[in-house]
Amino acid sequence: MSRRIFSILGLFDDVQRLMDAIPVVKAKTGARLDAYTPYPVHGIDKALGLRKSPVGGMVFIMGLLGALAGVGFELWTSGVDYPLIAAGKPVLSWEAFVPIMFEVTVLFATFTAGLGMLLLLNRLPFFRHPMLRAKSMPLITRDKFALAVESDGGELDEDAIIAVLRNAGARSIEVIEQPAPPGPLSPDFLMRVAVAIAISCGVAGYLTYWAMKLFPISVPVVHMLDQPRLNPQTQNSFFRDESGMRLPVAGTVARGHMPYSIREPDDPAVPANPLPASEPVLKEGRKAFEIYCSVCHGILGDGAGSLTAAYGAKPANLSSRAIRDYTDGKIHHAIVAGKNAMPSYAAELTEDERWSVVHYVRALQRALNAKDEDIPKEVRK
Amino acid sequence: MKTGTVALPEFLKLPPVIEGKLTPGSLDDQVLSHLDRRPPPAWFVAFAFSSSLMVIGLMLIGYTIATGIGVWGNNIPVAWAFDIINFVFWVGIGHAGTLISAILLLFRARWRNAISRFSEAMTIFAVICAGIFPAIHVGRPWLAFWLMPYPNQRGIWPNFRSPLIWDVFAVSTYFSVSLLFWYLGLVPDLASLRDRAPGKFRKAVYSMLSVGWRGSSSHWQHFEKAYLILAGLATGLVLSVHSVVSFDFATSLVPGWHMTIFPPYFVAGAIFAGFAMVVIVLVVVRSTMRLENLITMYHLDVMNKVILTCSCLMGYAYVMEAFTAWYSMNGSIHHTFKQYIFGTYWWAGWTTISCNVLIPQLLWSRRFRRSYPVMIFVALAVTVGMWFERFVIIVSSLHQDYLPSSWHIYRPTLVDYGILAGSFGMFFTLVLLFARVLPVIATTEMKVVLPGSQPRHAGGLHE
Repeated sequence: MSRRIFSILGLFDDVQRLMDAIPVVKAKTGARLDAYTPYPVHGIDKALGLRKSPVGGMVFIMGLLGALAGVGFELWTSGVDYPLIAAGKPVLSWEAFVPIMFEVTVLFATFTAGLGMLLLLNRLPFFRHPMLRAKSMPLITRDKFALAVESDGGELDEDAIIAVLRNAGARSIEVIEQPAPPGPLSPDFLMRVAVAIAISCGVAGYLTYWAMKLFPISVPVVHMLDQPRLNPQTQNSFFRDESGMRLPVAGTVARGHMPYSIREPDDPAVPANPLPASEPVLKEGRKAFEIYCSVCHGILGDGAGSLTAAYGAKPANLSSRAIRDYTDGKIHHAIVAGKNAMPSYAAELTEDERWSVVHYVRALQRALNAKDEDIPKEVRK
Repeated sequence: MKTGTVALPEFLKLPPVIEGKLTPGSLDDQVLSHLDRRPPPAWFVAFAFSSSLMVIGLMLIGYTIATGIGVWGNNIPVAWAFDIINFVFWVGIGHAGTLISAILLLFRARWRNAISRFSEAMTIFAVICAGIFPAIHVGRPWLAFWLMPYPNQRGIWPNFRSPLIWDVFAVSTYFSVSLLFWYLGLVPDLASLRDRAPGKFRKAVYSMLSVGWRGSSSHWQHFEKAYLILAGLATGLVLSVHSVVSFDFATSLVPGWHMTIFPPYFVAGAIFAGFAMVVIVLVVVRSTMRLENLITMYHLDVMNKVILTCSCLMGYAYVMEAFTAWYSMNGSIHHTFKQYIFGTYWWAGWTTISCNVLIPQLLWSRRFRRSYPVMIFVALAVTVGMWFERFVIIVSSLHQDYLPSSWHIYRPTLVDYGILAGSFGMFFTLVLLFARVLPVIATTEMKVVLPGSQPRHAGGLHE
C-alpha cells in the first residue's frame, strides 16, 4: 500500500452527536482520538481523556519569577550597581519598587499564559499539519464538528474505522493522508533558525555587557573616559625639565597681592593712603577694625580692649599723641608687618581693607581728641 | 417543578443576548462577509476625514519635534498641559475595552461577548494615541529610550522611585498585554477568515496571522485556560494602570494633586470615559454594519447603566475631593479648589461637573437608555466632560500653585488644538481600518453563547 493514512475524520452536525460518538468510537477502535471544533466545547477534554492543562502552574511559576526579577533588578540597579538616593529615602527603599514589580509580574505571567499556550503547549505556528489541507477544515472553523481517529505510528484499519464512525452518527467521512516529509528549507525550519538567531543575539549582548563590565580591557567605545594629560607632581618627558608641573612666568603677580618689600616703618618709601576718606571707605574700615583690631585696641581704639584685663597685655592707645603723629604709611606698615607683640594682619585684611582701617583709625583719633571747633556751629552752645 | 431547582421570578431572568434566530454558520456569514464587500460611500467619507485630521496632527507633531515644544502654549508653572491631558484622556478611553474583555469575562456577563472584540481594539488604538503624547512631551523624543533600563556606557540606571518611570512600565505593559489578549482572541476568528477568504493574497495573510490554528480539542483546552488566566491578570492590570497614572499627580505636592483619592477616582473616570466612547462607536457600527441582532438594545441599555454608575461614582469623588480640600485646613489647597469653580478657568470646572455628573442622570430613565439621540448626547457630553476634568486637574491646579510670583495664565496654541484633533483622527482612522480588515465581533466567542452550542450535560449556564 503506497499511501499512509494520518487520520480518518468523521464530521458531525451538532455538538451533542459528537459528544455521544466519542465513547462509542473510543471503545470500538481503541485508537488515539482528537476532536476539531469551531469553538471550545465544555466537557470534551474529559471525554477524550486529555491531560489537565498545565497553563496555571506555568503562569504561577513565571509570575513569581517576574516578581523576583522585577524587584531584584530594581534593588540591584538603585541599591548596588549605582546607589541612588532620591527624596532622602534609603537606597533599599523597596516600597517604591512595588509598582514596577507588579508590572513585571503581570508581563511575565501574561506572556507565559499567552505565548506559552500558543508556542509551547499548542506547538503553533505550524502550517504543515495535514488537517490544514483537509477539505473539512473550512467546515470545522465554521460550524461542523469533527472526530478524528489518528494514527500513532502504526497502520489504521481504514474500512473498519469508517464503519465505526458511520455507525456513531458521522454525516461524512474524510481520509487524510500522511504528507510527504518536508524539504530542507521548510517554513518551520526557517522560523526555528530565526528564533535561534534572535536568542543568540540576546545572549551575546548580555555576555558582552558583563564582559565589558567585569574585564574592562578592550572597551570598544570609551567616549571621553581616557584623555592624555600631564598630571602635576609627576615626571614627564614632554618638557625639558621633565616635570609635569609648570612654574609661573618670572615676575608674575597675583591680583590683589602686590608685593610689599619695605622693612622699616620709618622708611621714606612707605606709600601714602590711596583711598579717599569717603563714607563707604570709613564704613568698610569700621567693619574690619571692629572685627580684627578692637579686641586688643578697644572699640574706640583707646587701648582698652576686652583682652587687656584678661592677659595683662598693653596694646597701644591709638589716640595717643605719638600715634596721631604717625604717617598713614606708618600705621599701614604696622598692620602689614606687625609691631612689638602685635603680629602681621596681612593675611586677614586685603590691601583696600588695610587702608580703610587707617582712615577709620584717623577718624577715631579725631573723635577722641575733639576740640570745640570740631562741633558744628549750629549745635554749639 | 422539580425539587432542588428554583424558578426565577420574571424580572430576575436575563434577557437573551441575541435577537432572532442565529446559527454558527449564519453568524459567520453575517459578520465575516463584511470583509468581502466593498465598503459603503459613507466609510470612504469618514476615512478621508479622519485620516486628513491624522495627517494634520502628524505634521504638527513633526513641526513640534523640529522646532521644540515652545510652539505649544505650555509655560512655567503650567509645564504640563494639553500633552498630559491628552495622554491621561486616551489611556482612560482604553480602560473600557479591558474592563469589558477581562473583568466582565470573569463575571461571566454574556453580553460582553458581542462587544468585547471591538472594545479591545479600541483599547489598543487609544493606548497608541496616548503613547504619542509623553514621547513628544519630553522635548527630545529621539532620546526617549533613556526611560528604559538598558545597560549603557554611562553606567547609570533610571530612578525606579520616580512615578514617571512607573508610568512608562505601566503603560507599556498595558499595551503589550492588551495587544496579546486581543490577538489571542482573534486567532480562531482569523482561522475562520483564512478558510473562507476568496483571494490568494488574503488567504496567505490570514493563514500567516492565524498561525495554523486548526481547532483541535487539546488546543482549545489550553486556549480557554490561558484566556481565563489572561483575563484575571488583565483585571489587576486595568486597575493598576490608571492608578499609576494618577501617582504622577498624587505623589507630588501640588495643591489639588496631593490626594489619596486619586487612584480609585482616576480608574472610575477612565472606565466612565471609555464606556462613553464605546457607546458612540457601537451605535455607529451597529447601524451601519447591520448588526442590530447581535448588538441589541439590551447591550446598549446595560452599557448606559455602567455609564450612570460611573457618573455617580464621579459625583461622589468630586464631593469627596472638595471635602478633603476643605478638611485639610490648608490655605493653598482652599485657594486651588476655589480656583476650580470661581477662578480663571471656572468654565472648565463647571463643564466637568455638568457633563460628568448632571447630564448622565438622564440615563435613570429606561426610555432614554434605549434612545439613540439621548445616549449619543450623553456619551458625547461624558467625553467632553472627562477631557475637561483632566484640564481642571492639570491646568487649573498648576497655573496658581504655592508661589504667587510665578502664577501664569495658560493659553493653548493652534498647534495644541491641531495635535489633539490629530489624535482623534488617528483613533478613528485605526477604528475604520479595523472594521474593514478584521471581524468586528468575536464570532468564536459568540458561537459559545448561541443556544444549543454546548452538550446537555455541561450544565444550564450555557443554555
